[in-house]
Amino acid sequence: MDWQGQKSAEMLMQVLLVASAVAAFLVGYAMADFQLMLLVYAGGVVLTALVTVPNWPFFNRHPLKWLDAAEADRHPRPQISSAPATTGGKKKTGKNK
Amino acid sequence: MHSWGTRLLAAATTAAVLLVAACAAASALDAFHVPSVEAQAHVTKINRFHKQINGNDKVTLTFSLSANLESLFTWNTKQVFAFVTAEYETAKNSLNQVSLWDNIIPDKDQANVQVEVKSKYPLIDQGTSLRGKKVQLVLHWHIMPNAGAMIRGKMPLSEFTLPDTYTS
Repeated sequence: MDWQGQKSAEMLMQVLLVASAVAAFLVGYAMADFQLMLLVYAGGVVLTALVTVPNWPFFNRHPLKWLDAAEADRHPRPQISSAPATTGGKKKTGKNK
Repeated sequence: MHSWGTRLLAAATTAAVLLVAACAAASALDAFHVPSVEAQAHVTKINRFHKQINGNDKVTLTFSLSANLESLFTWNTKQVFAFVTAEYETAKNSLNQVSLWDNIIPDKDQANVQVEVKSKYPLIDQGTSLRGKKVQLVLHWHIMPNAGAMIRGKMPLSEFTLPDTYTS
Protein backbone atom coordinates (compact mmCIF):
# COMPACT_ATOMS: atom_id res chain seq x y z
CA MET A 1 0.00 0.00 0.00
CA ASP A 2 1.43 3.38 -0.98
CA TRP A 3 1.25 6.63 0.99
CA GLN A 4 -1.86 7.92 -0.76
CA GLY A 5 -3.46 4.50 -0.26
CA GLN A 6 -2.76 4.60 3.48
CA LYS A 7 -4.31 8.06 3.75
CA SER A 8 -7.41 7.09 1.82
CA ALA A 9 -7.72 3.79 3.74
CA GLU A 10 -7.77 5.66 7.05
CA MET A 11 -10.28 8.22 5.76
CA LEU A 12 -12.47 5.50 4.30
CA MET A 13 -12.35 3.51 7.54
CA GLN A 14 -13.44 6.42 9.71
CA VAL A 15 -16.15 7.63 7.34
CA LEU A 16 -17.60 4.13 6.88
CA LEU A 17 -17.59 3.37 10.62
CA VAL A 18 -19.23 6.66 11.60
CA ALA A 19 -21.78 6.28 8.81
CA SER A 20 -22.66 2.73 9.84
CA ALA A 21 -22.93 3.74 13.51
CA VAL A 22 -25.29 6.60 12.66
CA ALA A 23 -27.32 4.43 10.28
CA ALA A 24 -27.51 1.61 12.84
CA PHE A 25 -28.69 3.98 15.56
CA LEU A 26 -31.36 5.52 13.34
CA VAL A 27 -32.59 2.12 12.13
CA GLY A 28 -32.63 0.73 15.66
CA TYR A 29 -34.49 3.73 17.01
CA ALA A 30 -36.97 3.80 14.14
CA MET A 31 -37.74 0.09 14.42
CA ALA A 32 -37.55 0.23 18.25
CA ASP A 33 -35.21 -2.74 18.20
CA PHE A 34 -31.91 -2.60 20.05
CA GLN A 35 -30.71 -5.91 18.65
CA LEU A 36 -31.32 -4.67 15.12
CA MET A 37 -29.04 -1.71 15.83
CA LEU A 38 -26.28 -4.07 16.93
CA LEU A 39 -26.75 -6.26 13.83
CA VAL A 40 -26.71 -3.32 11.42
CA TYR A 41 -23.63 -1.93 13.11
CA ALA A 42 -21.89 -5.33 13.06
CA GLY A 43 -22.60 -5.50 9.33
CA GLY A 44 -21.11 -2.06 8.85
CA VAL A 45 -17.98 -2.99 10.81
CA VAL A 46 -17.49 -6.18 8.78
CA LEU A 47 -17.96 -4.24 5.52
CA THR A 48 -15.46 -1.60 6.67
CA ALA A 49 -12.92 -4.27 7.56
CA LEU A 50 -13.39 -5.94 4.16
CA VAL A 51 -12.89 -2.65 2.34
CA THR A 52 -9.97 -1.20 4.29
CA VAL A 53 -7.97 -4.08 5.80
CA PRO A 54 -6.79 -6.06 2.73
CA ASN A 55 -4.21 -4.45 0.46
CA TRP A 56 -6.55 -3.83 -2.48
CA PRO A 57 -5.16 -2.68 -5.85
CA PHE A 58 -6.90 0.69 -5.62
CA PHE A 59 -4.71 1.56 -2.63
CA ASN A 60 -1.63 1.17 -4.86
CA ARG A 61 -2.33 3.69 -7.62
CA HIS A 62 0.35 6.19 -6.54
CA PRO A 63 3.62 4.23 -6.34
CA LEU A 64 6.66 6.10 -5.03
CA LYS A 65 9.09 7.09 -7.82
CA TRP A 66 12.54 6.33 -6.47
CA LEU A 67 15.54 8.15 -7.92
CA ASP A 68 17.99 6.10 -9.97
CA ALA A 69 20.95 4.71 -8.00
CA ALA A 70 23.32 6.64 -10.29
CA GLU A 71 21.99 9.92 -8.82
CA ALA A 72 23.74 9.14 -5.53
CA ASP A 73 27.12 8.92 -7.26
CA ARG A 74 26.53 12.15 -9.11
CA HIS A 75 25.76 14.05 -5.88
CA PRO A 76 28.12 12.66 -3.21
CA ARG A 77 27.41 13.18 0.46
CA PRO A 78 29.12 16.34 1.79
CA GLN A 79 32.00 15.53 4.18
CA ILE A 80 32.04 17.20 7.60
CA SER A 81 35.55 18.67 7.98
CA SER A 82 35.57 20.42 11.39
CA ALA A 83 35.74 18.27 14.54
CA PRO A 84 32.76 18.53 16.94
CA ALA A 85 33.22 21.02 19.80
CA THR A 86 34.00 18.96 22.91
CA THR A 87 34.68 21.86 25.28
CA GLY A 88 31.07 23.07 25.21
CA GLY A 89 29.78 19.64 26.26
CA LYS A 90 32.15 19.50 29.21
CA LYS A 91 30.98 22.90 30.41
CA LYS A 92 27.38 21.81 30.23
CA THR A 93 27.93 18.67 32.31
CA GLY A 94 29.83 20.77 34.83
CA LYS A 95 26.89 23.11 35.17
CA ASN A 96 24.44 20.29 35.61
CA LYS A 97 26.48 18.89 38.50
CA MET B 1 -1.88 2.07 8.24
CA HIS B 2 1.10 0.46 6.51
CA SER B 3 0.18 -3.16 7.26
CA TRP B 4 -3.08 -5.07 7.39
CA GLY B 5 -2.52 -5.69 11.12
CA THR B 6 -2.47 -2.00 12.03
CA ARG B 7 -5.48 -1.36 9.80
CA LEU B 8 -7.40 -4.18 11.49
CA LEU B 9 -6.54 -2.87 14.96
CA ALA B 10 -7.44 0.69 13.98
CA ALA B 11 -10.79 -0.47 12.60
CA ALA B 12 -11.52 -2.54 15.72
CA THR B 13 -10.65 0.33 18.09
CA THR B 14 -12.70 2.89 16.17
CA ALA B 15 -15.61 0.45 15.93
CA ALA B 16 -15.54 -0.17 19.70
CA VAL B 17 -15.47 3.56 20.50
CA LEU B 18 -18.41 4.20 18.18
CA LEU B 19 -20.34 1.29 19.71
CA VAL B 20 -19.90 2.86 23.14
CA ALA B 21 -21.10 6.17 21.69
CA ALA B 22 -24.20 4.53 20.19
CA CYS B 23 -25.00 2.80 23.50
CA ALA B 24 -24.51 6.07 25.40
CA ALA B 25 -26.85 7.84 22.98
CA ALA B 26 -29.47 5.11 23.40
CA SER B 27 -29.18 5.41 27.17
CA ALA B 28 -29.36 9.20 27.04
CA LEU B 29 -32.60 9.05 25.05
CA ASP B 30 -34.20 7.11 27.93
CA ALA B 31 -33.86 10.22 30.09
CA PHE B 32 -36.50 11.92 27.93
CA HIS B 33 -38.92 9.01 28.19
CA VAL B 34 -41.76 9.78 30.59
CA PRO B 35 -43.76 6.62 31.36
CA SER B 36 -47.40 6.77 32.40
CA VAL B 37 -48.12 3.77 34.59
CA GLU B 38 -51.69 2.94 35.49
CA ALA B 39 -52.12 0.58 38.39
CA GLN B 40 -54.60 -0.34 41.07
CA ALA B 41 -54.44 -2.88 43.85
CA HIS B 42 -56.47 -3.73 46.86
CA VAL B 43 -56.37 -6.41 49.51
CA THR B 44 -59.20 -8.86 49.01
CA LYS B 45 -58.59 -11.10 52.01
CA ILE B 46 -56.44 -11.38 55.10
CA ASN B 47 -55.77 -15.12 55.11
CA ARG B 48 -53.98 -15.40 58.43
CA PHE B 49 -52.78 -12.91 61.01
CA HIS B 50 -50.90 -14.29 63.96
CA LYS B 51 -47.96 -13.92 66.26
CA GLN B 52 -45.00 -16.16 65.49
CA ILE B 53 -43.22 -18.17 68.21
CA ASN B 54 -40.32 -15.71 68.07
CA GLY B 55 -42.75 -12.87 68.77
CA ASN B 56 -43.03 -11.30 65.33
CA ASP B 57 -46.37 -10.45 63.75
CA LYS B 58 -47.03 -12.33 60.53
CA VAL B 59 -49.73 -11.71 57.94
CA THR B 60 -50.51 -13.64 54.79
CA LEU B 61 -52.98 -11.95 52.52
CA THR B 62 -54.53 -12.09 49.08
CA PHE B 63 -54.65 -9.04 46.86
CA SER B 64 -55.70 -8.19 43.37
CA LEU B 65 -53.40 -6.16 41.17
CA SER B 66 -54.15 -4.49 37.89
CA ALA B 67 -51.10 -2.76 36.44
CA ASN B 68 -50.33 -1.62 32.93
CA LEU B 69 -46.56 -1.28 32.72
CA GLU B 70 -46.37 -1.18 28.92
CA SER B 71 -45.34 2.47 28.91
CA LEU B 72 -42.14 1.58 30.80
CA PHE B 73 -40.76 -0.24 27.79
CA THR B 74 -38.61 1.59 25.26
CA TRP B 75 -36.38 0.17 22.53
CA ASN B 76 -33.57 0.15 25.10
CA THR B 77 -35.42 -1.94 27.71
CA LYS B 78 -34.19 -5.44 28.42
CA GLN B 79 -36.68 -6.31 31.14
CA VAL B 80 -38.64 -4.80 33.98
CA PHE B 81 -38.67 -6.09 37.54
CA ALA B 82 -41.90 -5.14 39.27
CA PHE B 83 -42.73 -5.74 42.91
CA VAL B 84 -45.40 -4.79 45.40
CA THR B 85 -44.39 -3.75 48.89
CA ALA B 86 -46.36 -3.13 52.03
CA GLU B 87 -45.15 0.07 53.67
CA TYR B 88 -46.04 1.23 57.16
CA GLU B 89 -44.75 3.35 59.99
CA THR B 90 -43.78 2.16 63.45
CA ALA B 91 -42.57 3.94 66.54
CA LYS B 92 -39.05 2.68 65.87
CA ASN B 93 -38.85 3.22 62.10
CA SER B 94 -40.58 5.85 60.03
CA LEU B 95 -40.59 3.54 57.00
CA ASN B 96 -40.91 -0.26 56.93
CA GLN B 97 -40.95 -1.93 53.53
CA VAL B 98 -41.91 -5.57 53.10
CA SER B 99 -41.97 -7.12 49.65
CA LEU B 100 -45.18 -9.11 49.12
CA TRP B 101 -45.00 -10.13 45.49
CA ASP B 102 -42.65 -9.69 42.55
CA ASN B 103 -42.54 -10.41 38.86
CA ILE B 104 -39.98 -10.21 36.05
CA ILE B 105 -41.53 -8.83 32.87
CA PRO B 106 -39.29 -9.82 29.95
CA ASP B 107 -41.41 -8.32 27.21
CA LYS B 108 -43.84 -5.50 26.49
CA ASP B 109 -46.52 -8.05 25.56
CA GLN B 110 -46.51 -9.33 29.14
CA ALA B 111 -46.51 -5.89 30.75
CA ASN B 112 -50.24 -5.69 31.31
CA VAL B 113 -50.57 -7.50 34.64
CA GLN B 114 -54.02 -8.50 35.89
CA VAL B 115 -53.74 -10.90 38.81
CA GLU B 116 -55.35 -11.86 42.05
CA VAL B 117 -52.68 -13.60 44.09
CA LYS B 118 -51.71 -14.70 47.52
CA SER B 119 -48.72 -12.71 48.69
CA LYS B 120 -45.62 -14.57 47.55
CA TYR B 121 -43.79 -13.49 50.67
CA PRO B 122 -45.50 -13.07 54.05
CA LEU B 123 -45.77 -9.68 55.69
CA ILE B 124 -43.67 -10.13 58.81
CA ASP B 125 -43.02 -7.25 61.17
CA GLN B 126 -39.92 -7.21 63.31
CA GLY B 127 -41.99 -6.83 66.41
CA THR B 128 -45.65 -6.78 67.36
CA SER B 129 -46.83 -3.53 65.84
CA LEU B 130 -49.07 -4.79 63.04
CA ARG B 131 -52.42 -4.95 64.90
CA GLY B 132 -54.67 -2.14 63.72
CA LYS B 133 -51.85 -0.77 61.58
CA LYS B 134 -52.54 1.24 58.47
CA VAL B 135 -50.50 -0.29 55.64
CA GLN B 136 -49.95 1.10 52.18
CA LEU B 137 -49.43 -1.04 49.09
CA VAL B 138 -46.79 0.44 46.77
CA LEU B 139 -45.87 -0.76 43.30
CA HIS B 140 -42.15 -0.47 42.53
CA TRP B 141 -40.41 -1.09 39.24
CA HIS B 142 -36.79 -1.40 38.17
CA ILE B 143 -36.24 -0.89 34.46
CA MET B 144 -33.16 -2.77 33.26
CA PRO B 145 -31.96 -1.26 29.99
CA ASN B 146 -29.87 -2.92 27.30
CA ALA B 147 -27.34 -0.14 27.74
CA GLY B 148 -27.09 2.28 30.63
CA ALA B 149 -27.98 2.48 34.28
CA MET B 150 -31.02 0.89 35.93
CA ILE B 151 -34.03 3.20 36.30
CA ARG B 152 -36.25 2.92 39.37
CA GLY B 153 -39.76 4.11 39.91
CA LYS B 154 -42.69 3.59 42.26
CA MET B 155 -46.33 4.39 42.68
CA PRO B 156 -48.52 4.19 45.79
CA LEU B 157 -51.57 2.03 45.16
CA SER B 158 -53.94 1.77 48.13
CA GLU B 159 -54.14 1.67 51.88
CA PHE B 160 -55.67 -0.92 54.13
CA THR B 161 -55.93 -1.40 57.87
CA LEU B 162 -55.02 -4.66 59.53
CA PRO B 163 -57.49 -6.07 62.09
CA ASP B 164 -57.11 -5.18 65.75
CA THR B 165 -56.86 -8.81 66.80
CA TYR B 166 -54.99 -11.87 65.57
CA THR B 167 -57.11 -14.27 63.53
CA SER B 168 -55.51 -17.37 65.00
